[in-house]
Amino acid sequence: MSNTDFTTAFFIAYKTITKGHKSTIALIIFILSLSFFNLMFVSGFLYGFSDGVMKSMIDNSTAHIIVMPQEEPTIKPFIYEQDEIRAGIETIPGIVGTARHYQLNGTLTYDKENDGDFKYTPAQIIGVTQHEEKDILTINKYIVSGEFPDYLKEDEIVLGANLSGGFGTKQTKDLGGATVGSKVQINYSNGITRTYTIVGIFKLSMVGSVASAAYVSTSEAESLLSTYNSASEIMVKVDLNKNTLDGYTDKINQMFPNLRLEKYTSRLSTVGILVTAFNLIAVIVSIISIIVSAITIFVMIYVNAVSKRRQIGILKAIGIKESIIEASYIIQSIFYSALGIIGGLIVIFFIVIPIMAVKPIAMPYGDAVLVYTVLGIIINISSLIVAGILAGYIPAKIVAREDILKSIWG
Amino acid sequence: MALKGVSLEIAEGEFVALMGRSGSGKSTLLHQLGLLDMPTEGSVLINKFDVLSLTDSERTKFRLQYLGYVFQEYALIAEFTALENVFFPAMALGDNDAKERAEHLLDLVGLKDRMHHYPNEMSGGEQQRVAIARSLINNPKVLFADEPTANLDTVSSEIIFKLFQKLNKELKQTILVVTHEPEDKRYVDRVIWLKDGLIEDEE
Repeated sequence: MSNTDFTTAFFIAYKTITKGHKSTIALIIFILSLSFFNLMFVSGFLYGFSDGVMKSMIDNSTAHIIVMPQEEPTIKPFIYEQDEIRAGIETIPGIVGTARHYQLNGTLTYDKENDGDFKYTPAQIIGVTQHEEKDILTINKYIVSGEFPDYLKEDEIVLGANLSGGFGTKQTKDLGGATVGSKVQINYSNGITRTYTIVGIFKLSMVGSVASAAYVSTSEAESLLSTYNSASEIMVKVDLNKNTLDGYTDKINQMFPNLRLEKYTSRLSTVGILVTAFNLIAVIVSIISIIVSAITIFVMIYVNAVSKRRQIGILKAIGIKESIIEASYIIQSIFYSALGIIGGLIVIFFIVIPIMAVKPIAMPYGDAVLVYTVLGIIINISSLIVAGILAGYIPAKIVAREDILKSIWG
Repeated sequence: MALKGVSLEIAEGEFVALMGRSGSGKSTLLHQLGLLDMPTEGSVLINKFDVLSLTDSERTKFRLQYLGYVFQEYALIAEFTALENVFFPAMALGDNDAKERAEHLLDLVGLKDRMHHYPNEMSGGEQQRVAIARSLINNPKVLFADEPTANLDTVSSEIIFKLFQKLNKELKQTILVVTHEPEDKRYVDRVIWLKDGLIEDEE
């Protein structure tokens, strides 16, 4: 299309928009803003939820990679010489840090009123070295009562609120409201019984083993397990900007071929199914939003073009090319799409996101926030523009190609 | 078959009326001469050039550059002012200096003081005069008018035909008009009568 043709088409579009029914134009832009808002909000919310779940898993439960004891050529119950192994792993470029865990199982017992009415709950007990752990897994940020000391004493314990009870948690089995300072007894699966003082209670939105875990010191765990300088698991945190997850596991495997490695994605289980489902829903909702926008533009352009059939015929009769007429409608479509996009973006970034920053939506697996990437926003904008162009072009083409005399005289 | 075999010649600067009863083929003849419709057989020569040999897009451009049209329904663009309606065909040709010429044409048709008004602010006669000014903006070889006064009252119709006469006399504009009003004969140089798709008479 030549500059002259484009100028002519633009002039027609400009005059049609500026002299058109303002209320109709406002309605169209309102509908398109809503469609684009829907497109952005749902996809941002669902991706944000997925992102939040993953981040929560990585930050509070698994880190990126979990190193486990060897099974070949012989099964070992622990990772031995864990300090050397961790030191070796931490030499790999991009590794942020490592932390070791001991894992035990037991039953917590608590008598709140000291009246013989005991509450019991099974739990996973994790032995940690908190001053090393806190840069890798950040449970300490979720303390709601007491603290998570950097150096836990052997008779101290930090509980999840799902175990202690209270704090708005709803578990069928908990200790009925144990508090900081209370004493709980743990009957370990190996028969040992110990009594601990609760020094901290944390609350994670995430349902799962970590939210219902208890933490004791590494030395306490070693005394229970009769081992030393070992680990049930080593958590490895990595920088994914420097290498891929597979890249890191390959490097660790090369260093320690006998150790078993698991990526955090393998431990998603139910959460993983939910994340996959939500991602699929996000795609479906996005497609529907785009279709709704396209149909809106199509109908508006078609009605406009049909109502101006005679005028279009006259324009063609005096020598205005069909392509100019079609282009004028495409320009109008792009205009309406652009304003719809701007309207939707204003609502998202200046209203919804600030509100959600102050009051995030609590979900079972973590607080949901809207997550966007530049690429994602560009894709959403491009999709709506392309849909608008097609939705404007097709009806314009249908009406513009009609025979001149038929357009004018019917 | 609307036309059964018509041959005619219109000289440059002539003002010719096509007349006849409804269904005589006068509008069909006008449309075919004006390249709005294609004859089944025959040729249309404008300045000795066979315009029927042009492609669809070439005919569109030819209409814009060399022909002018006035329709019964005025057919102004509602969103354009009178001035914009007039210079719009020139804009489509890339002539960005046509505004002054458009103002002159509106003055010629007696509507200079209405140039910034929209069609819905004008009477039928005024709109038709704007349409006539529009048809002249690209200095057409031939101006085709298809029953331009059919929707106008007697006074407005007289104004329009006097305007055509003025354009013909002062600008030497070649005009071919379809009309079914016998009193319009007095304005033209020649009348061609059609009946049943054939030329019945000329006067």
